[in-house]
Amino acid sequence: MARIHVVTDSGSDLPQEVRDQLGIHVVPLSIQFGDDIYRDGVDLSVSDFYARLEGDIMPSTCQPSPADFEQKYLEVAEPGDTVISVHMSSRLSGTYQSAVIASNMVAEEGIKVVTVDTKSASIGIGLVAVVAAQGVRAGLSLEEILERVNYAVSEMHVFFVVDTLEYLRRNGRIGNAQALLGTLLNIKPILTLQDGVVSPLEKARGKGKALKRIHELVGQVRAKYPNKDLAVGLTHAMAPAEAQSLAEAFERDLELKDSVITGLIGPTIGVHVGKGTLAVLLHPKY
Amino acid sequence: MDVITGNILRNMLLYAGAILNQEKDRVNSLNVFPVPDGDTGTNMSLTLNAALKEVEKVESTEVNRITAALARGSLMGARGNSGVILSQFFRGFADGLSEVVEAATGRDLARAFEKASQTTYRAVMKPVEGTMLTVGREAATAALATAEENESAAVVLKAAFDAASQAVLDSPKFLPVLKEAGVVDAGGQGLLCIFEGLLRGMDGEPAEYISEPVEAAPEPARQEGITRINGVLVNKYCTEFLVLGQSLDPDHIRDTLEEHGESMLVVGDERVVKVHIHTDHPGKVLEFCGSLGDLSDIKIDNMQLQNEAYTDAHNHDFFGNVVEFPKQSNGERKDIGVVAVVPGKGLAEIFMSLGADSVVLGGQTMNPSTEDLLKAVESVNADAVIILPNNKNVIFSANQVRELCEKPVGVVATRSVPQGITALMYFEPEASLEENLEAMDEHKREVKTGEITYAVRATVAGDLQIDEKDIIGLTDGKIAVVGQSVADVAHRLIEAMVDEDSSVISLYYGEDQAAEEAAQLHQELSEKYPHCEVEVHSGGQPLYYYIISVE
Repeated sequence: MARIHVVTDSGSDLPQEVRDQLGIHVVPLSIQFGDDIYRDGVDLSVSDFYARLEGDIMPSTCQPSPADFEQKYLEVAEPGDTVISVHMSSRLSGTYQSAVIASNMVAEEGIKVVTVDTKSASIGIGLVAVVAAQGVRAGLSLEEILERVNYAVSEMHVFFVVDTLEYLRRNGRIGNAQALLGTLLNIKPILTLQDGVVSPLEKARGKGKALKRIHELVGQVRAKYPNKDLAVGLTHAMAPAEAQSLAEAFERDLELKDSVITGLIGPTIGVHVGKGTLAVLLHPKY
Repeated sequence: MDVITGNILRNMLLYAGAILNQEKDRVNSLNVFPVPDGDTGTNMSLTLNAALKEVEKVESTEVNRITAALARGSLMGARGNSGVILSQFFRGFADGLSEVVEAATGRDLARAFEKASQTTYRAVMKPVEGTMLTVGREAATAALATAEENESAAVVLKAAFDAASQAVLDSPKFLPVLKEAGVVDAGGQGLLCIFEGLLRGMDGEPAEYISEPVEAAPEPARQEGITRINGVLVNKYCTEFLVLGQSLDPDHIRDTLEEHGESMLVVGDERVVKVHIHTDHPGKVLEFCGSLGDLSDIKIDNMQLQNEAYTDAHNHDFFGNVVEFPKQSNGERKDIGVVAVVPGKGLAEIFMSLGADSVVLGGQTMNPSTEDLLKAVESVNADAVIILPNNKNVIFSANQVRELCEKPVGVVATRSVPQGITALMYFEPEASLEENLEAMDEHKREVKTGEITYAVRATVAGDLQIDEKDIIGLTDGKIAVVGQSVADVAHRLIEAMVDEDSSVISLYYGEDQAAEEAAQLHQELSEKYPHCEVEVHSGGQPLYYYIISVE
């Protein structure tokens, strides 16, 4: 019997146990420190990565090649199977493009790949992959699953705060937050993704206030969907205490059926946002 | 002491100079405004110092030679209106003693004070009671009455001093502005210092003449006599010179020059006349006076240019007015622009970095006019403009701009710099004017404001007894903490402002606050409040050591 598989990329920041539980496969991006090339999550741990990020060499990321995707698709799927391949915003990374090319390559092998541009990043990708995998587990048809996937993509809310805009700037991912550069005060911008591009949402004096404000903004999302359960993901770059208190606050205030998925911001995203970043992504369930 | 010899007189004058020099800051502080920006004491002290330099050059011990030098030196060195009037006081004093060579009796002294007072009244076009004119007159009247009964110079001088003291205390009765401010007249107090010096120098030990250089205050500090049309000075040449002749007539000179300018002072006698006038035609003024005698010590300053240079260097206007800060964003046309009123250069930079399009320097004691704000608003390349007044005294003028300006103008009634910064954080270029005004107004109160300055005079605020020169800490406009050191007051003020919800403490230090001390305070606060982020920036504001925000 033909089966449906879910593949994502290492920008999804899904915790290992969630991936294992739902059978979500990950294609790693590469991280380059000068001449050293690592594959995210394969030969570079999160803590090693942030330690090296403090050093002199500014790392960069490299999207998986179409061959990397082809290999993964062939590994997980039999001819006749379908793969839902869920990826980072095509405006932030070429990963989605590689997946699209690979999907044409494996079509000859009888494997159908549906590529999804989540227009998101970090656990926003992860939450969409979770929706797909849960649909598979529930025995839904491909059409039903994709309807849920598209709903999650279109209703995804993204809030994140960075310690410094420097990483976004250096990697050319600063988008519309450009205007916030050069402020003399310790301003913590609350950022979002708009049409898959980084955009400033609000500004706060200091991280404490920024997190408080994110809590309020999430409360506004809660109020926007009074009859729906919310799926909430929270990721952080070496800020476990702040992440934990925020996750506890959400579970207390948001009437969630499932607990908040808390993950680490891995090297793929970490290169672009730097240490100290906290991100909250959420969508109403279908 | 029955008579005053030349040597004693010299010592008395040196004492007067020392006491005035010592008290000049206190005299400066006698300002009808509740903040330290007066300069009367400095101007009088500079004038007397210049006069004493001439006195010191006199080798003779003849009384009239000494007083002549005093008169000439003070006329040459007169600074500011109070200095000019003081120079007239000495001019008359010298006249009164012009026949005295060996020693002055009590009667001579009384007559000299009378002459001095008369000369000051003649020098001023519209004499105002409750000023140093009154103090001089009361002293002279008492001296004359005493001299009728007692020949002793010491007794006469004591009577003059007592009457001067009383006149100073009474000055608020004549001038309601003084009464409201709870101060006495600064010029009168300055003259009283001189009487005190004369008295103490009479039988005191030889005075150590304190001739340390006095930092010249900007003059004149008042707006009086300064006219602007569209921000451009009218009568911009400050013209000063002496006319030396044989039979000069100060009244005639005054009448003739009046039509050529403003802020005019013409003082002197038939031999020397000092002219001070703000005019657009210094040539005509000099031409006329040159026909009467020899011109000397000519000084012509372009106040417009001086003002620009001064504003560049000092954050505030040469005359205490506010001018538009030259800095401005040069971006393309926007939907909504922001104009912020800020009291210092550092704060101007901060507001610009947060997205303000234009800043107007102003704030406490230097409120920008509606016209200043209107010009800034019109200079911003935007369809609509939001004004952040950042001071409660500026909100009113900002609101007036709404009616005068053709483009839509909104005012977020921010009452302090921290409120302005907080409001600006919620400015959203993509949103409408109304949405922005609503959001900025809603959030501006999320911050507590603290300010640290010093008391220019003793007063009582609630339970707090405040002495002059005490460091005072205000929260949201009310005096909350009093102390002796800036750091101590800063600590206690912040203690009163921080609570468990606080997460950010920001300090903007003023132009008179050393950066090292601010850095030290930064470190102490960071250790003391581990749950808060502490930031310290140069604000550059005058008079306020720190502007503090807690949020």
